[in-house]
Amino acid sequence: MKVLIVEDEMLLAMELENEVEMAGHQVIGTAATRDQAREAIAAQRPEFAFVDIHLQDGPTGIEVGRDLAAKNIPYVFVSGNIKKIPRDFAGALGAIEKPYTINGMKNALAYISGLIEGCVELNPPASLVLAEDVELIEAGPRI
Amino acid sequence: MTDNEQRRNAAQTAGDRLVARHVREDPFAAAFKATRMPMIVTDPNQDDNPIIFCNAAFEKLTGYSAEEVVGRNCRFLQGPNTSREAVARIRASVEAGSDIAVDILNYKKDGSEFWNALFLSPVRDDDNRIVYFFASQLDFTNVKSREADLAAARHKAEEEVAKNTERLQSALGAKTLLVHEVDHRVKNNLLTMASIVKLQARITKNQDHRQILMSVLNRVEALSTVQRKLFTLDDVSRFDIADVAREMVSDLVGAIKRPDIRLTHELHPVYVPAVKATPLALIVNELVGDAVRRGLSDGGGQIHVVVKRLNGHFLIRVEDTSIPVEVDIETAEIGRILLETSARQVGAKIERRTAGHRTTVDVTMLVESPQESEN
Repeated sequence: MKVLIVEDEMLLAMELENEVEMAGHQVIGTAATRDQAREAIAAQRPEFAFVDIHLQDGPTGIEVGRDLAAKNIPYVFVSGNIKKIPRDFAGALGAIEKPYTINGMKNALAYISGLIEGCVELNPPASLVLAEDVELIEAGPRI
Repeated sequence: MTDNEQRRNAAQTAGDRLVARHVREDPFAAAFKATRMPMIVTDPNQDDNPIIFCNAAFEKLTGYSAEEVVGRNCRFLQGPNTSREAVARIRASVEAGSDIAVDILNYKKDGSEFWNALFLSPVRDDDNRIVYFFASQLDFTNVKSREADLAAARHKAEEEVAKNTERLQSALGAKTLLVHEVDHRVKNNLLTMASIVKLQARITKNQDHRQILMSVLNRVEALSTVQRKLFTLDDVSRFDIADVAREMVSDLVGAIKRPDIRLTHELHPVYVPAVKATPLALIVNELVGDAVRRGLSDGGGQIHVVVKRLNGHFLIRVEDTSIPVEVDIETAEIGRILLETSARQVGAKIERRTAGHRTTVDVTMLVESPQESEN
């Protein structure tokens, strides 16, 4: 699938790009600001995106997420503070918490690409916090 | 004789008449004169309702002698800070011929203020006509100033509390911000360190170097997992080691992609102080890593990870059915050193048992208090 990486730490973006390509996907762009993200989305529609919350121009990752959700592009947040994500998760599938491990990222990526390709029987890995689980936790204790 | 003198004489005469009506033995008159309560009598039937009698207590309170006050209206007790509203209420009561109790600020002869709990009441004759007004003056300046002192003290205390609360809140806000900032930086730095090691591992053509770098990366990632799990509980000083173990096992299960290695676990929350999080996470990491490495090289097997309380102890157990062979001297050595050093740091005991193909490693330590390991 075609993947957009929105991350302002260049080294992290580079290693994530490598990880995504190793898993057989194509990275169509990386963005470090909201404007760069918009340009990248306009230039070539991604099928999926990783979005860091704190970018070079501030905590604009949430807005980037809302832009993606408005275009029905699935994405996950990648952030060191998932408590900063709004309650509605801004339309994200979920979040991968930093600092993720390589295996955690691989598992999350495998689950996400499976999900986007229509596999519903996969179990989400521990490294991926799903938006729906967060809503369940907020609604009350799980049985 | 001036008008004033005439008036004074008339009041004096009225007062004398009043006293004359009471024989020396009259207990009421004696009480009136001798009481410590300042009292006066006025005559509303004379012009301007003058005082016609005052007792010794009144003289003592106000500093005026009877001679100075008889013939004068009570208003000489008023001064610049006397409440106009209180004066108006007294006047209205006199005109209506009714009782009144009112707190009023009055002035002594020397000009000093005193708080007067005034009680004023008409005295009527058999025909129900008002013949006198009787008034008592109770000096409650002490009470008033104590009240004022208390109110001022309370006000000051409240101000101090408000100021301190504000200071504490802003300090707490700054501290929270700092903790978040530091946490964020630590997380980013851990991920950056991991990325640098991984980059080097990716670039190197030497398989041995690559293996060493991946071994370092694995330990850095164990620290990353700890950092991610810190501050997730409401009590930031506690840490659930089972939570870390679950994440480590889950990461491995998805990533090794070897159907011949089966990873199972039995994990119960065991809360430990956050300062012990890193050595305990490294212990779990080394035990699981060791079992996986042997399983990878020796044709798979079953790996079972247990984290639970056992008889007041905290147990980490990793059991595997991989063939127990030394994989690589260096790899085994670093794993052993990390395991033993971490165990020593938290005062844990390592016990290794081998029975056929089954290897069991138990790491046990005393749980410091029952609260740390409930559930």
